[in-house]
This record gives sequence, structure tokens and C-alpha cells, in this order.
Amino acid sequence: MTSRARRIGRLGIALAVAIFAACLLLSLALGPVSLSPAKLVGYLTAGPGAGGPGNTIFWDIRLPRVLLAFIVGASLSVAGVILQDLFLNPLTDPYVTGVSSGAALGATFGIVLHLAPLPWMTLLALAGGFATLGAVWVVARRRGRIDIYVLLLAGVTISYFVTAVISVLMIRAGQDMDAIIYWLLGSFNGRSWPEVEVALFALPFLAVPLFFTREMNILLQGEKRALELGVDVERAKRVLLFTAAALTAIAVSVSGVIGFVGLVVPHIVRLMVGPGHQPVLPIALLGGAAMMGIADLLSRTMVAPSELPVGVVTTFVGAPLFVYLLRRRRSGS
Amino acid sequence: MTHVALKDVTFAYDERPVLRHLTFALERGEFVGIVGPNGSGKSTLIDLIDGLQKPSSGEVLVSDRPTGAYRRLEMAREVALVPQHFDLGFDLSVREVVEMGSYCRDKDAVQCGDAGMTLARLGAAELEPRPFTELSGGERQLVVLAQALMQQAPLLLLDEPASALDVSHQLHLFDLLRELNRDGLTVLCILHDLNLALHYFDKLLVLSEGEVAAFGPPDDVLRPEIVEAVYGVRAYLHRHAGRTYLTFSPRLRGERKGRIHLVCGGGTGAGLMRELVDAGYDVSAGVLNALDTDEETGRELGLHMAVEAPFSPVGDEAHAENLELMRAADLVVVTAVPVSHGNARNLEAAREALAGGTPVWALDGLLENDFAGATEGLAGAGVRFFPDEAALTAAVAERRAAPAASVGLMGSAASEPPPKT
Repeated sequence: MTSRARRIGRLGIALAVAIFAACLLLSLALGPVSLSPAKLVGYLTAGPGAGGPGNTIFWDIRLPRVLLAFIVGASLSVAGVILQDLFLNPLTDPYVTGVSSGAALGATFGIVLHLAPLPWMTLLALAGGFATLGAVWVVARRRGRIDIYVLLLAGVTISYFVTAVISVLMIRAGQDMDAIIYWLLGSFNGRSWPEVEVALFALPFLAVPLFFTREMNILLQGEKRALELGVDVERAKRVLLFTAAALTAIAVSVSGVIGFVGLVVPHIVRLMVGPGHQPVLPIALLGGAAMMGIADLLSRTMVAPSELPVGVVTTFVGAPLFVYLLRRRRSGS
Repeated sequence: MTHVALKDVTFAYDERPVLRHLTFALERGEFVGIVGPNGSGKSTLIDLIDGLQKPSSGEVLVSDRPTGAYRRLEMAREVALVPQHFDLGFDLSVREVVEMGSYCRDKDAVQCGDAGMTLARLGAAELEPRPFTELSGGERQLVVLAQALMQQAPLLLLDEPASALDVSHQLHLFDLLRELNRDGLTVLCILHDLNLALHYFDKLLVLSEGEVAAFGPPDDVLRPEIVEAVYGVRAYLHRHAGRTYLTFSPRLRGERKGRIHLVCGGGTGAGLMRELVDAGYDVSAGVLNALDTDEETGRELGLHMAVEAPFSPVGDEAHAENLELMRAADLVVVTAVPVSHGNARNLEAAREALAGGTPVWALDGLLENDFAGATEGLAGAGVRFFPDEAALTAAVAERRAAPAASVGLMGSAASEPPPKT
């Protein structure tokens, strides 16, 4: 990497850490009940169960919800980076693999069957997500190789199919329809520590691509060139695809299908620091988390005491920001 | 020492065979070009050597080890490939692109070359900080070559590295390859320009429909008959300024558009000869003096000619042969050749042909360069005059196209030419 690119990368990571910290603080402090930074420190040091309504709000509602939003945001945006670069397609988001549709189908079954959200709905969602991944994988596998374009098409096709099944279930669901729609839109409302515990399984998967930054850079030149340069392309694809799918499935199983973050955060990061993965992956991780945190903050404060679905907020915030960055970049170059 | 060996290699995509029973070996330090028509299997051959494809049958050995036994990382240390197409839609700097080449060398730091030094070796040091997407085609080719060199592999494969380059970049690239070869690299390079192949490489491998048509030193391999068999075009060898060159005409042999006899000399007929041959006519010429420019061109094109000794007037024997050639022709064309007593008999011959019913066409310039008074009355005798070669060749084409004109050119088109003497 040139020293200039390296400097921009370091600067970007430092900036991302700062934004991440600021957003974390804001998300924890603000809400229907605002908590001052001094109080936050107090609750943190006192630990859970120390008594008082503020402490209860912080430990039982605010903190788990914020943690969940951050983990889901990071997962979707890292999955977005992986898939956009593997498919060499800028329009890719974590949902093209069909994993999210499969997870949504699992959750919909849970709702229709009136199962408890935890563990059953989440387990069904995870099972649905991984089952879809398996199906897409089998279709795209030929002579020991994963054909990335077949995988993309199979993912989109299976998504449509699964969505049709969900529609049938919704029509038959009667009064459960609202619950399904709300779940599909995605939300962190009412999520607490059990969901966070599920989401923690995403953390190792968030770290995996950091060990594949060189391979991912080389894969930007296409699979054939990567083979020529000595990359074990099939292994890299297997690991990265599974990682992206796992991140997506885990995120969807605890929060529903939240759009736009996985599509737009990777682009925003690339526009700022270039396509090299050494800076892009950590910055996208931190940035995705921060963006989801702020989106959730807005979703619970803008129309308080009611809530906006967080997916609506991510789109409202992300779309104008993205357009602004695109325009600025064009005029700059 | 054998570097690469193919033993009875056959390769097929699905059922369609691309390479058939290929056997050849490359020694260490050789500088070899691969030529052959589109679709003859050149790129596939390179992919087989790099282990990107596995032979359907037979064996490909690199450094005495089957390519299937290499892991990709090991192969990248052994073989570097410069691909035909290199797309990168992302805004990486040249340095980042070049450094990707050292992926396979990551762990042994000693061998891990420096991107800046590698670019400098190719005379492209100034490209280092620039974004790859902003480079010209020639600059990109150098950067991709630098990327491949970062692999520090002893065998370099190149797939048409020069096809997108202008002549100066082409020569620069091949000079660089030659230099790399002198430093010990084995180089195997696909190219389309047969004249570059002729001048740069120690050996050439000619592929035709998936088989080795020839393999050896360029002069042995790129003989016109081999080029004609492989490419389906007519090929001519010319010697110029101490080098051998190939030129080509679309294949029209056997089409037999008719026979045209040229009266020319001193270079006045060379252009017409080539144009008429390329257009598919059987062309003869005479009488020409040996070593005359037109005589040399005619010889390179393989024309039937009546030839006289150098600097001698037209003798009886040559004159008789010339008359015979004219009789076999459907049309006689006289260029703006200067006429003196030495070659005045050629115009006598033309008059005779005219009298015998063969049309005679000539260029206006002929009358201006007549120093022997041999052209007098030609126009009155029925010779058709044209202001320039373009008008004349247009009339030749028209004559053939119009059905009414079949009297001369097409009617006797099937007549056999006399044996060449």
C-alpha cells in the first residue's frame, strides 16, 4: 500500500473509532428517558440490580438494545462488504443470498405457530437461513467449485420463492399478519439480553474476514487472476460466503430484515478510504454499528412514545447521505 | 534441463476438443513464442501449463512435477502469467496492484521483491503512485507485467501482451522480455504479429486446430507454405534491410478470376502486381531484367515472368516467352514504364497481343516516358488509356463484374497458364 493510502486508512480507522464511541454514548444516553453521562458511568460501575428506575432502564432495556443494534449493524455491513466484493457487483446486499428470506420464513412459521420468540422463533429463523444457504450452495456447486454467478441467481430466485411462501402464510395468518409485517420490517423494540446472547455468536464471524484482507483485495481482479497469483480461491470463497451468510442469518434472526445498512455502508466507506480491505473492513464494521445505533436511537425517539420501524429510519438516513457522498465525489474528481 | 513438458496432452471443454495429442518440451531459459489462428488453443495451452485447467488426458509437467500436484500457492511461485484481459474496476493505486503479485512470496521476506524496484526495472517507476484506473493501455500492461514479476517465478507466460499496444510500446515490451530472458527467465509468449514473432523469439510454436503445426527456430517455422496451411492466407517472404518480413493476401488461390499480363519495369509495376494478386488474378509480367525492382517483387509474389539478364536489352528468347505469356492472358496492362531501345520490344509484343484479340490497357504516363518512339499510334490501334492506377484497377474490377464483359476476362479464365520456366 502506498504511504498515502496507508495514512488515509489509519485516519479513517481513527475517525471510525471516534464516531463509533460517540454514537455508542449518544445511543445509551438518549431515549424516552435521557440519562446524563455521569449517570451512565454510575450505572455501569454499580452494576445491574443496584436498584432505582434509571438503573433498571439502563441495564434491562437500553444497554441490551443498543448492544444488539450495534452488533446487527456491524454484521450486516461486514456481510455487505464481503458479498459486494465476491460478486464484484455494487448492487449486492447481504440479502441477495436468500439467507434473509429463509430466516424470515422460519420466523414467520414461529409467529403463525404462536411459538415463543426465544428460543423458538430465533432458532427457526437461524434454521431457515442456513437451510436456504445450503440449498443455494448445492445449486451453485459444480465440479467442486462454487460458481459465484449461479449462486447469486439461485439466491435471488430462492428469495422470490420463499417470499411467495411467506405471503401465503401471511394471508392465512389472520390476526397474526401485523406481527409478521412488523417482524419483516425489522426492529429492536422489546429485544433484551437473550437476543444479545444469540447475537454474540456473530462476533467471531466479524473477525474472520480480517484475516482474508489480502485475498479479498486480490479477488477484486476476478477469480481467475486470483488463482494465477496463488490464492486458494475456492477456500477463500467458502469461508467468506459462509461467514457472510452466518452474519446475515444471525442478524436477521434477532432483528428482522433491516434494509439499506448492508448495501450502503460498504459504499460509503469505500468512497472515503478507497477499495483496499485493510481499512475498509474495520471501518465498515465500526461504521455499520454506529449507523444502526443512531438509526435505532431515531426510531425510538422521533415519534416517542411510539416507534418507527428501524428499517425505515436506516433508509431515511442512509439514502440522502449516500447521494451526498456520490455527488461530492463526482465533483471532486 | 527441461522446464515444461507436455506429453500427449488432450484437452476438451465438455465434448469439444481444444487441444489434441500435444507433445513438446521447453528447456530452461528458452525464449519461445506461440502463434496460431484464433481458436487454435493458444490460451488454453497456457492455462494448462499454469495448472488452471487439467488435461483431459496426458500429462503436463512443470519442473518435472505434474501440474495437478501443485497447490495454487506453490504454482504461483513456479509460474507467473500475464493475462490477456485485465480488468480492475476499483480505484487501487499502481503500487497496491503490483504488490498483489507478492502474495505467494509473503512468508519469505528475502524473495519478496519491492514494487517500486520492479516497476523501475521495467522503466515505469513514475507510475507507482498513480491510480491504476487512470493508466493508458500500454502503462497497464507494464503494471500487470510488474505484478507477475513480483511472483519471482522462473517461468513467465504471456497471453497476447502486445495486442493492445502501439508500435513503440510493443517494441519496448519485447525488448524487456528479451532482457528478462537474458536474466534467466524462461519466457513463453502468445502473440499474433508474425513479424514480431519472426524477429524476437528463439523458437516458435505454431498451433493449428489444437495441434502442433510446427516447432523450431522462427525461420524454419514461419515458411510461407506453413503460414498458408495454418492461416489460410497467401504469405510472401520479403528480405529488406537485412531482415525477413512476411506479408499476406487474403486467400483467393483457386478462385481464378482471370489472367493479367503486366508490361512494366523499374518499380512502375510493383504496386499493381500486388494489388491484382490480392484481388485474386493470376498475374504474369515481362520482359523484366533480373534484379529490377519489379522483377524482385514478382519473384517474391511467385509470378510467371519472362526475364532477361541484368542491364541487357530484350533478347529473342525472352521475347518469345513474353509473347507466350501474353497469349495466355485475358488482358495486357502496360504501366508508365520508361521505354528505351532496350525494352521497346515489349511494346511490339503488346501490339501483337492486341492484334491477336487480347485487349491492351495502358497508363497515360507511358506516353510521356517514351524515349524510343515505340508508343506511336497505340491509342489509334485500340489501346485503352487510363489517367492513373486507381482508374485502371477500378476498370479491371468493373470489367469482371459486368456480365457483358465476360468475353475477355472470364471467358478464358479457365485456361491453364504455361509452365513456369
